[in-house]
Amino acid sequence: MSENWSEFYRHIETARAAVAHGFETHVQDPQEILRARARKLAQSPDRTDSGERIEVVEFLLAQERYAIGSSYVREVYPLKSLTELPCTPAFVLGIMNVRGQILSVLDLKKFFDLPDQALNELGKVIIVKAGNMELGVLADAVVGVRSLAMSDIQPPLPTLSDAHAEYLLGVTRERMAVLDAGRILADTRIIVDDEVEA
Amino acid sequence: MKWTVGRKIGAGFGLAVALLVALGIITYRSTSELLRVTDERHASTKCISQLDDVFGLINGAAASSFGYALTGDEQYLQALDAAHGAVQKDIQEVETHLVDSEQRARLGRLEAMLTECLAQLLSEADTRKTKGLDAATQVAQSHDTRRELAQIHDVIREIETVELAMLGKHEAAAEAGSKAATRYIVGGVLIAMLLLGAAGYLITRSVARPLREITTTAERIAAGDLSMTIVSNGRRDEIGVLTLAFQHMVESLQGVAQSAELIAAGDLTVNLKPQSDKDVLVHTLSRMVTTLRGSTQKIQEAASVLSASASEIVAAVTQVTSGATETAAAVSETATTVEEVKQTASVSTQKAKQVSENAQQSVHVSQLGEKSVNETIDGMNRIREQMESIATSIVRLSEQSQAIGEIIASVNDLAEQSNLLAVNASIEAARAGEQGKGFAVVAQEVKVLAEQSKQATGQVRTILSDIQKATGAAVMAIEQGGKAVEAGVKQSTETGESIQSLAKNVVEAAQALLHIEASSRQQLVGMDQVAVAMDNIRTASVQNVASMNQVETAARNLHELGQNLRQVVQHYKV
Repeated sequence: MSENWSEFYRHIETARAAVAHGFETHVQDPQEILRARARKLAQSPDRTDSGERIEVVEFLLAQERYAIGSSYVREVYPLKSLTELPCTPAFVLGIMNVRGQILSVLDLKKFFDLPDQALNELGKVIIVKAGNMELGVLADAVVGVRSLAMSDIQPPLPTLSDAHAEYLLGVTRERMAVLDAGRILADTRIIVDDEVEA
Repeated sequence: MKWTVGRKIGAGFGLAVALLVALGIITYRSTSELLRVTDERHASTKCISQLDDVFGLINGAAASSFGYALTGDEQYLQALDAAHGAVQKDIQEVETHLVDSEQRARLGRLEAMLTECLAQLLSEADTRKTKGLDAATQVAQSHDTRRELAQIHDVIREIETVELAMLGKHEAAAEAGSKAATRYIVGGVLIAMLLLGAAGYLITRSVARPLREITTTAERIAAGDLSMTIVSNGRRDEIGVLTLAFQHMVESLQGVAQSAELIAAGDLTVNLKPQSDKDVLVHTLSRMVTTLRGSTQKIQEAASVLSASASEIVAAVTQVTSGATETAAAVSETATTVEEVKQTASVSTQKAKQVSENAQQSVHVSQLGEKSVNETIDGMNRIREQMESIATSIVRLSEQSQAIGEIIASVNDLAEQSNLLAVNASIEAARAGEQGKGFAVVAQEVKVLAEQSKQATGQVRTILSDIQKATGAAVMAIEQGGKAVEAGVKQSTETGESIQSLAKNVVEAAQALLHIEASSRQQLVGMDQVAVAMDNIRTASVQNVASMNQVETAARNLHELGQNLRQVVQHYKV
């Protein structure tokens, strides 16, 4: 028992010292960590100079990967203080205030018949812009920015309905759907101009 | 008109009464006649006697007169007066007795003569008195007294003669009447005897003979002989009725006798019909048959039970006999065992002494144990205080972990925002085109750092969660430890009490052991007595075996008896 107690005391003392000296114990081998990062970064991108490339912002919608060309993306913004609008179609989630600018937020899940998920604070809004049109698209999570070879983007399957195929630029081999933001923004169907009798 | 026996006897008695009345009348008449004659005789005799008296008196009077004349004594005068009165009285009496007219005439003459004579005598006496003796003598000489007296005597004699003659006549009549009465009476009695005798003979003949016959029959019935047949004699009087009644009685008795014969033969199913509600014999017989039937059934059952029981008794007795034999053997073994027990008892006496000493040591030990337990309780209390301080520390630790968690949450938020910033930076870099390439790398690096921060916060959160769980478990363990310590304190207290009572018990046990020691010694003595008793029991069990053999024989006899009884009872039809 007494041996165990001394063991305990030793452990506690070690932990206390570690806390006092700024978690040095956890960064036991900084060199190792740096090497691992170097290895990761050292992977040469399989770039083929032959094709044209585009930069896309990759995001998740109901566990499916989607991408929008970064040329249309103004910025990514956390979903905060969303105000729902009455008498709007289901795909209009509401409006929100981004640094003084009022933007409407669309839910693309309604367009692609994806299962609804509860809105939470972790949700992000991708603000897209084309010409005068500027609006927010809801994303469950934003993965990041990446560049794609145009040759990698294959046309959408012909079995898709017109509405779907219309918004899609194509699908990559990693089953990432690349959206055509220009066409979505240009579509007059998303412009809501209804008057409701009181 | 029916000549019943009652009427016959009535007629006989009527005849006797009539004869008795006739005889009575005759006798009465004769007797009254005889009485009348006797009275007449008596009157005549009286008359004669009175007349004789009168003559005497007149003579006496004459003598008195003479006496006075001679002496002048006054006493003679008195006698003369007395004679005068007596003569008149007697004459009146005689007159009452006389019935004949002639006699009465004669009496009248006598009376006159007497009166004259007496008057003469009185005058002579008067003369003597007044004129003296001489004058009186002259008077007396002039007067022939003697002749007068003779005349008187003659008259009296005459009357007496007539009376005597009448007396004789009356006596003859009386004698004749008496004889006639005697004849009537003798004759009447003889006739009455004849008549009554005849009547008695007839009545007796018509009543007594049939009664005698019936009496003979009744005596035979009384003797139990019912073999006769009574034939009606055709008479319609009491005798006839009696004969008929006897006939019915005999027939009824014969019927009962036949039933009794059947019952005697063992047939108990006989149906008896009573002649009337008051037929005691048949009712009794019927009850007797019912009772007999019940009794016979019960006897049959009893015989069966007896037989079966006897069999069981035989079996049981056999078992008992073998049991008794075994008992005898067991008793021998027991005697041996008793001897061993005796030795064991002496050993146990020694052991009891040793145990008593050990008990004294146990008392010391238990006192030491009590002290130890008290120390244990103190230790437990200290442990409890330590536990409480540990619990306080752990709770503080838990609260600090919570604070760390909050910090981690804000760090996570920062990482998220950094990530977004990195993405935006990438977008800006992409927009900048070739000049933004370097910036894109930096943005990429910032993004990686943000993700790493996120992962680190996740790990820290996991660790914190583990710490929370561990502290919860520790608090629970401490709580249980506290409870265990409580239980320990309680159990230690109970142990102390137990040890105290143990010590008490050990003291009592030591005392008890002293008693046990004494008891063992008595036990030893007792075992000797038991050995003697066992010897007696052995003798008794040998005798038991012999007795059981006799009982077995008796039970076999009982069994045979039951069989016989059953055979006897089976003879009856129920």
